[in-house]
Amino acid sequence: MTARKQIALPLIFVAGVHVIALFAGFFAPYNYAQQNRDLPYAPPSPLHLYDVQGVFHWRPSVCRLAARPEKFGVYEEDRNNCFPVRLFIRGPQYTVLGLFQSDWHLFGVSPPARIFLLGSDGYGRDQLSRLLYGSLLSLFAGLLATGLTLNLGALLGTVAGYYGGWCDAVIMRCIELFLALPWLYLLFALRAFLPLHISPSRAFLLLILVIGIVGWARPARLIRGVALSEKERGYVLAAKMFGASHFYLMRRHVLPSTYNVLVTQAALLIPQYILAEMTLSFLGLGVAEPVPTWGNMLSAVQQYDVLTSYWWMWAPGCAVILVCLSYWYLASALQARAEVIGH
Amino acid sequence: MRYLGRRLLQSFCLLVGVSLLSFAFVELAPGNFFDEMRLNPRISNEAISGLRKQYGIDQPLPVRYARWLGSVAKGEFGFSFAYNAPVGSLLWPRARNTLLLTGSATLLTWIIALPLGILSAGARHGWIDRSTLLLTSVLLSTPDLLLSLGLLLFAVRTRLLPAGGMISLAAENQGGWQQAESLAIHMLGPVTVLVLISLPTLVRHTRAAMIEALDSPYVRAARSHGISPGRILLRHAFPVALNPLISLFGLSVGSLLSASLLTEVVVSWPGLGPLLLEAILGRDTYVVIGAVVFASVLLVCGTLLSDVLLFASDPRIRSERLA
Amino acid sequence: MAYAEIITRSRTLAITVAAGLCLFGTAAGPASGLPEDVVTSSGEVGHPGGRLSVALRSEPKTLNPATSVDVSSREVIAQLNADLVHINRQSQLIEPALAKSWKVSPDGLRYTLQLRHGLRFSDGQPFDADDVVFSFKAYLDENVHSPQRDLLVVGSKPITVTKIDPYSVLFELSRPYAAAERLFDSVAILPRHLLEAAYRSGKLSQSWGLETSAQQVAGLGPFRLKEYVAGQRMTLERNPYYWKADRDGRRLPYLDQITFIFVPNADAEVIRFKAGETDMINRVNAEDYSTLERDQGAQSFRLWDLGPSLEFNFLFFNLNSTLPAQSSALARKQATWFRQLKFRQAVSLAIDREAITRIVYRGRGTPLWSPVTPGNNLWVNASVPHPARSVPNAKTLLQSAGFSWKQDGTLVDAAAVPVEFTIISSASNAQRSKMATMIQADLKDLGIQVDVVSMEFHSVLDRIFQTHDYEAAILGLGGGDVDPNSDMNVWASTGNDHVWDLGEARPSTSWEAEIDQLMEKQLSTLKPEDRKQMYDRVQAILAEELPIICLASPNILVGARTELGNFKPATLDPHTLWNSPELFFYHREASGRP
Repeated sequence: MTARKQIALPLIFVAGVHVIALFAGFFAPYNYAQQNRDLPYAPPSPLHLYDVQGVFHWRPSVCRLAARPEKFGVYEEDRNNCFPVRLFIRGPQYTVLGLFQSDWHLFGVSPPARIFLLGSDGYGRDQLSRLLYGSLLSLFAGLLATGLTLNLGALLGTVAGYYGGWCDAVIMRCIELFLALPWLYLLFALRAFLPLHISPSRAFLLLILVIGIVGWARPARLIRGVALSEKERGYVLAAKMFGASHFYLMRRHVLPSTYNVLVTQAALLIPQYILAEMTLSFLGLGVAEPVPTWGNMLSAVQQYDVLTSYWWMWAPGCAVILVCLSYWYLASALQARAEVIGH
Repeated sequence: MRYLGRRLLQSFCLLVGVSLLSFAFVELAPGNFFDEMRLNPRISNEAISGLRKQYGIDQPLPVRYARWLGSVAKGEFGFSFAYNAPVGSLLWPRARNTLLLTGSATLLTWIIALPLGILSAGARHGWIDRSTLLLTSVLLSTPDLLLSLGLLLFAVRTRLLPAGGMISLAAENQGGWQQAESLAIHMLGPVTVLVLISLPTLVRHTRAAMIEALDSPYVRAARSHGISPGRILLRHAFPVALNPLISLFGLSVGSLLSASLLTEVVVSWPGLGPLLLEAILGRDTYVVIGAVVFASVLLVCGTLLSDVLLFASDPRIRSERLA
Repeated sequence: MAYAEIITRSRTLAITVAAGLCLFGTAAGPASGLPEDVVTSSGEVGHPGGRLSVALRSEPKTLNPATSVDVSSREVIAQLNADLVHINRQSQLIEPALAKSWKVSPDGLRYTLQLRHGLRFSDGQPFDADDVVFSFKAYLDENVHSPQRDLLVVGSKPITVTKIDPYSVLFELSRPYAAAERLFDSVAILPRHLLEAAYRSGKLSQSWGLETSAQQVAGLGPFRLKEYVAGQRMTLERNPYYWKADRDGRRLPYLDQITFIFVPNADAEVIRFKAGETDMINRVNAEDYSTLERDQGAQSFRLWDLGPSLEFNFLFFNLNSTLPAQSSALARKQATWFRQLKFRQAVSLAIDREAITRIVYRGRGTPLWSPVTPGNNLWVNASVPHPARSVPNAKTLLQSAGFSWKQDGTLVDAAAVPVEFTIISSASNAQRSKMATMIQADLKDLGIQVDVVSMEFHSVLDRIFQTHDYEAAILGLGGGDVDPNSDMNVWASTGNDHVWDLGEARPSTSWEAEIDQLMEKQLSTLKPEDRKQMYDRVQAILAEELPIICLASPNILVGARTELGNFKPATLDPHTLWNSPELFFYHREASGRP
């Protein structure tokens, strides 16, 4: 594959995901909080191209589900009660980019039918809509928190490795302290200190700060090791003799050699951080119901019956894997391109 | 030697710092162990405050810390409110179970990852390299929790692996060989998950470091001298690539007690994980602090080990230190 | 004279020796010699043998009946010990246990209990009144800090225990106490010969921890301790001296062993049960019940739905008079919204209890309008109204209380402040968190903005009991006993579980004062019909004034292998093992699995 194609494919995918995330309201057929209490754990709606008489239609249709009485979560399709899927339909209202209201949706069905392309959760809320609405929060939280962690880690690791001596010792002991302490307790205390009601934007910021700051120690340690040996390189010593400042040396010579480590750590951290929100919501510090994030959607899968019976609830997990894979391929392609240019 | 002595002193100070800060953190968190008893209408407030006094919870922080230090000197490491027993006797058997799991997993990871990383770097864009990259990318993008849950689902669905625990009841009463067999099959699942979790980072770092080493001028010179590729890989490139690996090794050793917490809880392995989780959520303070101190000791050893190895392996660091 | 004395003494000696020989003679073969006052069980006759495997959702913390509080410890202790008077879990009525009969004085203050003769502890030592007196002394001793002590304090004075003769004991109360016999249930009788030394040296609360060797632990229960493996399991073996026998005269229990396996949570318990590693499952979640139901026929187990439990889940508002400082917003909300009866009534009318039962409990639950559930058929007040969900009625109520609606549907109070509040619930309890989310959607129909804050359990407890820093919360209580006295501390204004208004010296409203009076009176009324009337009135007041808005109660769901005989699950705890002496396996041989 040419270098261009190597970049293009993941780039398109990543860009596409982010555009959809930004305009989630348009792509999602329903509001994320809309409960359909008569349809909990409904399986993904089968799309029928042939109607009940066997006639073919270009437009797929969705049939109404009837719940079997006395049996929870078991449904039967009523083939006599089918509704066509329509494009550019008007539906529940939503806000675009926080600026203006709209009620146009890419696709949907007229009520009382429901189209659950990815099934529904325990309250009968459409999983696809929740996935789309939650993507923005999860992706950006993951990226920003990782950025924070790596910046902190790179800064402190480089400083420690470069200066050495007591500076190194202090920072290393801080790292060990950080890795050893039971931070969960501090998070309990943090929750108690904060007011009960946290506005969503504040919650988002808090999320990024907490996740980002808690994780800086490990990357810092790795980077410090690299910096320790890098600073003895020939060209670094030469530059020093020419009167280069410490800051210049760190930025220009030591830091670039840590990029490999940084990129690998980023690939490791982004998926962890996207799901770290799950732990935070257990503590009450995450995003509250009914706002979806991929993390709190996946917390339902931990329950045994959901784990084994409702396979569509794994969708956020697959989404995490796919998106992170595409990030990774994009980063590798960009790196390869940079190497090619460098040579 | 002096370096070692200095580091030991620093580590000791660190342990003291960790214990002090842990006490402070626990103090800050709302709630205490006996809160749960409040939900029982048949226990009066006086009984609860009596219990609190008995266990010394109402004492100020310095007094409690001093008492805890005395208990550490006796080898007890404090007292568990829930189990009514010294913390040390609670931690030891479970720490052994955890180390069994993480020790095997770490060993396996390093045994698999190093050759895989070296080989992929040596034969770049070959089929080993491509498949390794694909595998590690997918594993990197999969969060730990999903892997553990996937294992549980697999065990339940296929019945090939036991669904939890450390050793089956039946094997308990049989001979040593059956016990070992039962233990091995119970370990298979969690160890696999732990290996899958830590494998990709190690493979990636090894590969990246090896590639960098292989691109350097002296390796090119060695190649032009006609030295065999194998010898180049192992004798010339690998020692240079060791740097980030040693730091990772130190972190691996340091996290032997804490890395498997999630997996242990999901597959109900009787290690430190479930005990610690219950203690944290139940505010059984001395158990938490005891476990934290145990884990810190291991962490300090790991860091010390990796620093010593870095010192020994990289002449550049050695020369700087001695200069 | 001296010679005659010697002869008499030797004859007495001979008789004593002979009697002793007989005693010890029978003790030498415990399987053969049943005690004089053996109890005959009425269950189906089975055969001995087999090992029962049961899962425990957390490790037991201690084997000491005086200090144990947590559920798992109490479950194991119940198998190792026996009480004087026992509540039959199936009939919910009292029956004699270690005490074969008792007499009550006319004023209800003195209970004379006759103990059974010839009983032995699991290590062979005889049981008599000294053990009873010692046990109660230990429980009531303030230095032991036993949580059992509060149960034995009636009218703020502890009951006194006196030995009359080796097989009778006198209990004296300071005031008449209704259903006093129920006090004795689950108060384990401790062996004086093993624990007295520890008690005298003040170390009773440290005794019988998990590391104790099996020889140091003894009790009068059907099983005795065999082995404990930390983090994994605890094994109990048959007590060869147990004092119950079946109709054929064979000594119970049938089972050779009970093994308690420790599992970390409910899901792991279900997995082990399905995999065949455990023989019974206690208190299945409604969700897991449906998964198990599908496999019922194919595998060798059966599930039971025993109907509503005693647990009641409820939403309540912060009505405390002592609020945290600098919480003027909370104080205002309390004064203008929460304290208004019509507001609480409207909220109660808007909640869809049927949907909660259907979605949270998969239909295996009961909607509640009162804290006494239908599972308590002795005491439930059937005439408490059960209004169905009605948003229009709720809106009418709110309007009459001075609330109104803005253009966009938001509810505002008389001062045009939009109505919004937070509900806190424990994150570890998935069901209550679900209820909170559903209530959030329900109240949106009224225009109320509800935020659900799901946080860690102890933080929730701290806010409710300590700092009073919350607006509304969802909790679950109940499950102790059917008798009204067991939940006394929830309804009494000064009670420590009067969650909506804690720390009060006096009742703050007239209806709370009325409830206090009624509960006090029924405490010492001895006639059950009068007590029922008073308790009915208490339930009616609670349904009118709504200090708590009851939501739903889960059903008791259990399961067991089909080859387990005499399995009779009950609505009172322990639901599955209460009749462990009678349990047996149809097809398993002694000390072996098929």
